[in-house]
Amino acid sequence: MARIGVFVCHCGTNIAGTVDVTKVVEVIKKLPMVVLATDSKYTCSEPGQASIREAIIENNLNRVVIASCSPRMHEATFRRTVASTGLNPYLLEIANIREQCSWVHSDDKEVATAKAIEIIKMAVSKVIRHEPLFPTQVEITKRALIIGGGITGIQAALDIANAGYEVVVVEREPSIGGRMSQLDKTFPTLDCSACILTPKMVDLGQHPKIKLMTYAEVKKVKGFVGNFEAEILQKARKVDHLKCTGCGTCWQKCPQKILSQFDLGLGKRTAIYIPFAQAVPPKPVIDVSICRYIKYLNWVATGQEGKKPPECRICEKLCPTGAITWDQEEELITEKFGAVVVATGYQTYDHSHYQEYGGGAYPDVISGLQLERLMSASGPTGGEVIRPSDGAHPKTVAFVCCVGSRDQQKGRPYCSKVCCMYTAKHAIMLREHDPEIQCYIFYIDVRTGGKDFEEFYLRAIDEAGVIYIKGRPSKIYRDGKKLKILGEDALIGRPVEIAADLVVLATGMEPSIGADELARILNASYDTYNFMVEAHPKLRPVETQTDGVFVAGACVGPRDIPECVAHGGAAAAKVSALFSQDTLTTDPLIAVVNQARCIGCLLCVAICPFKAISYEVTRDKRLIAVVNESLCKGCGLCMASCRPKAVDLRGFTNQQILDEVNSLWL
Amino acid sequence: MINEIRNKAKELLEKKRVECVIGYERATDGLTARPAFIYDPSEVDRLIFDETCVHNLSRFLIDKKHKATAIVAKPCDSRGINLLLNESQLKRENLFIIGVVCSGVKKVRFNQIEDSLQNKCQYCPQHVPSVYDFLVGEPVTETASRNYAEVTAIEDMTSADRKLFWAEHFDRCIRCYGCRQVCMGCYCYECFVDELDPLWAGIRIASSENRMWNTMRAFHLAGRCISCGECERVCPVNIPLMLLNRKLEKDTVHLFDFEPGINAETTPPFATFKKGEDLGISK
Amino acid sequence: MALDYEPKIVGFLCNWCSYAGADLAGTSRTTYPANVRIIRVPCSGRVDPLFVVKAFQLGADGVLISGCHVGDCHYNEGNFHTRRRFVLLRPFLDYLGTEKERFRLEWVSASEGKKFSQLVSEFTETLKRIGPRKT
Repeated sequence: MARIGVFVCHCGTNIAGTVDVTKVVEVIKKLPMVVLATDSKYTCSEPGQASIREAIIENNLNRVVIASCSPRMHEATFRRTVASTGLNPYLLEIANIREQCSWVHSDDKEVATAKAIEIIKMAVSKVIRHEPLFPTQVEITKRALIIGGGITGIQAALDIANAGYEVVVVEREPSIGGRMSQLDKTFPTLDCSACILTPKMVDLGQHPKIKLMTYAEVKKVKGFVGNFEAEILQKARKVDHLKCTGCGTCWQKCPQKILSQFDLGLGKRTAIYIPFAQAVPPKPVIDVSICRYIKYLNWVATGQEGKKPPECRICEKLCPTGAITWDQEEELITEKFGAVVVATGYQTYDHSHYQEYGGGAYPDVISGLQLERLMSASGPTGGEVIRPSDGAHPKTVAFVCCVGSRDQQKGRPYCSKVCCMYTAKHAIMLREHDPEIQCYIFYIDVRTGGKDFEEFYLRAIDEAGVIYIKGRPSKIYRDGKKLKILGEDALIGRPVEIAADLVVLATGMEPSIGADELARILNASYDTYNFMVEAHPKLRPVETQTDGVFVAGACVGPRDIPECVAHGGAAAAKVSALFSQDTLTTDPLIAVVNQARCIGCLLCVAICPFKAISYEVTRDKRLIAVVNESLCKGCGLCMASCRPKAVDLRGFTNQQILDEVNSLWL
Repeated sequence: MINEIRNKAKELLEKKRVECVIGYERATDGLTARPAFIYDPSEVDRLIFDETCVHNLSRFLIDKKHKATAIVAKPCDSRGINLLLNESQLKRENLFIIGVVCSGVKKVRFNQIEDSLQNKCQYCPQHVPSVYDFLVGEPVTETASRNYAEVTAIEDMTSADRKLFWAEHFDRCIRCYGCRQVCMGCYCYECFVDELDPLWAGIRIASSENRMWNTMRAFHLAGRCISCGECERVCPVNIPLMLLNRKLEKDTVHLFDFEPGINAETTPPFATFKKGEDLGISK
Repeated sequence: MALDYEPKIVGFLCNWCSYAGADLAGTSRTTYPANVRIIRVPCSGRVDPLFVVKAFQLGADGVLISGCHVGDCHYNEGNFHTRRRFVLLRPFLDYLGTEKERFRLEWVSASEGKKFSQLVSEFTETLKRIGPRKT
């Protein structure tokens, strides 16, 4: 039998100024099962809460209704008040008579009072059916999985490992380092990118708590926060990394070459290779798609049709430790984790879509990242900036901003944030390479909003003599050895034509290939551009709606290196907070299945956005739905679709909502 | 045609491929049909198939989920089987479906087979069952398209007229739940209307409770009703129940591009959604 | 047509967006008619068609379901399902004689306090015009 106490708050004059609180208390007192009805000036204050506590104990109340402001304000506060008396905190209901009554009906006191009474009646009818609820505890596996080994992933890994937890980093390429390893210098300090990145890479490679899996991909993830199980595909390197010393003999002598992906097609690499000199791990992999001996083995296996490929094996013959292992197969490895951090980074927009700029067709129209490779001392040209077509040194270089960004027609309406800065950086550095170079930058706006960024932009103009032209070029075409850019200077309203030796397109950022598939594997959300979606764009930038899956860095949206490092650290902090608990407490406001009523139609299983319902077979061979308490978020979709009403939601049960409807106007 | 059915049934029972064959036999009035459950191969001659075989036999499969059973299925019945398979109420490997190419079943009133087809056959777009293991009869190409003339007739009435129309029908409802008992889509152990906790609809036989019952039963069958027409046939007070179900079927087909019962491997329209679908609701 | 009756509206508001929007209407001190009774649900997808039919049966003149804007659902997808159910239920109730103007699905975000109060005013006006459900 419920013993309900109703506490009506004045909230100063916020409620009492419009609602006749005395009358409300009079009427509510007479409701069945209401043992006590009283009012107070400020229920949420210390004395107000103390009086509630006393009333609960003195009157032996087992249900509490507080008629006050919105539950979104103080439900948590009042739950604590109730809990402090020993009564279960879920035996409380808040009646919103302020935001949804007194504040909106201040013009008619009688109507407001009548409505307040009805709102409290609804709450009383609901609270009768409240049951004590107890959060459950779930164990946590204190190991983190970091997907992506760029600067963000590296930072997150190091921070989590330094906090004392085990980390596994899975990187798709043969080495960690990501985009930053392809850069020459970083803005605004013009630090050498490799110099600041490689120490972190080495730290990661040597950290006792970090297991590095390169040339591997995550294929499947099951489970829930604190209890994930991931299947990782370790691709076959064909090289035994335990024997290999990284001496480099094999890749120096390998005869098979292909355009280098790392150098974005501007240079070549061999079939057995490390992507760059400072790779971690500094041990090669064999690209089985071009290796001559692998081709030979395939030729043998498929019946020896056609011309016989050479039985190369030079690497094997020269390797001093016998590390080449031709029969190495790819492996599927299953590991357990408590949290996942997605740090898969970005790739640059493919400028061959801009045929109007000769993208993909003219070798002297290159992307910003390609220019980085040319400028880099360890790049394909040893740091000499030359035209890819004829190797000449350019004297006039034109830059076009917003290629693949801010362009509705190419399906990329967003701003990629970093391009204005890196274009200014390129122009400054070109001047340093050759004081005779003249740079022109075609821009729409110059967005340099970070710390020291504005000064950097002014340096490009003042010190490097860069000429900024406001207007998006319409066309770039070849004229003899030169490239002609047709544009407009919008500030003076005149057309402009520049003859350049080299054109650099400031290509935008987009998520790496496979980002959407990975999001689906993790049951995390992604947007139309395949960027990962945060739980809240302002207040929860590194979490997703899926508990236990965190996101960091450029895979969430375009951002620069300091932001990525901050992001990686933030994700690490969240993971560390998660792991600092011994067990995980789950919210008890979740769905529960009445097994006797369940008909096994499995509609709820299909509809649950969190995959929190699955099914099992009972002893009498019936199929019934079962709720995973850790995954259930209490949205209630399952119940609305359940025909026999077998699923119910604690805290918002069918009976309670029906009672609320029933109590109106009766 | 009937010999093929009988022979197949005999074969299945003799080889012990199934324990029971569900089909039709002559009823005691000598004219109409009634459901038959044949367990013995020597009894297969009881089976008949003619234009009086109006019943939807698929609902009898639900209790026999774990037993190997054969069933004689018209196209409407086969849609019922697909629905039950989709909702995990049947196991395909336990079923042997003897599909029958059907040109409609006739109305029977007061011991006479009338010339006209049952209502449900007049708008049924199928002659060949959606699923079968063995087909009896010559398959034909389906040319009929869906038409909902009787539904549009009600839609075209004014709101006030509609209220009266339905009030007149629901007032006569005696809540015998015959419609529910005969429907193969209504297989819940505890129907919502029988539940006391919470009490969705009272036991009072009155217009508003009757409306509630009929509205919600139809809505629970939205996207699931396969238009076998049995509910309307068994209603003792002749409420035009198919008008309810067909309205929902029409909207389901038009809005969600979903036809119930055509495919056993499908996602029910209420279990899914399309992100960009424009259903006429503001964004 | 009884012009002086007060329509009774039952509103099912989702906790994360619409209920917060209604709160904001209060915090901003907008005024709207007192005809709506708000029932909080975790998600608009929680609203079973049974509740709607029941609300009408018990005497509501209008029913409102309000949730987050499409794509913004706190539970990712809830409002997509609400939309599907609503778009089938509303014409069906209209077909059975409950005019479609009586049943509304609206998206109100947590920052749209004014929209909520305008919605209630407008809905009340419409219901006054078409009269009580039980004539």
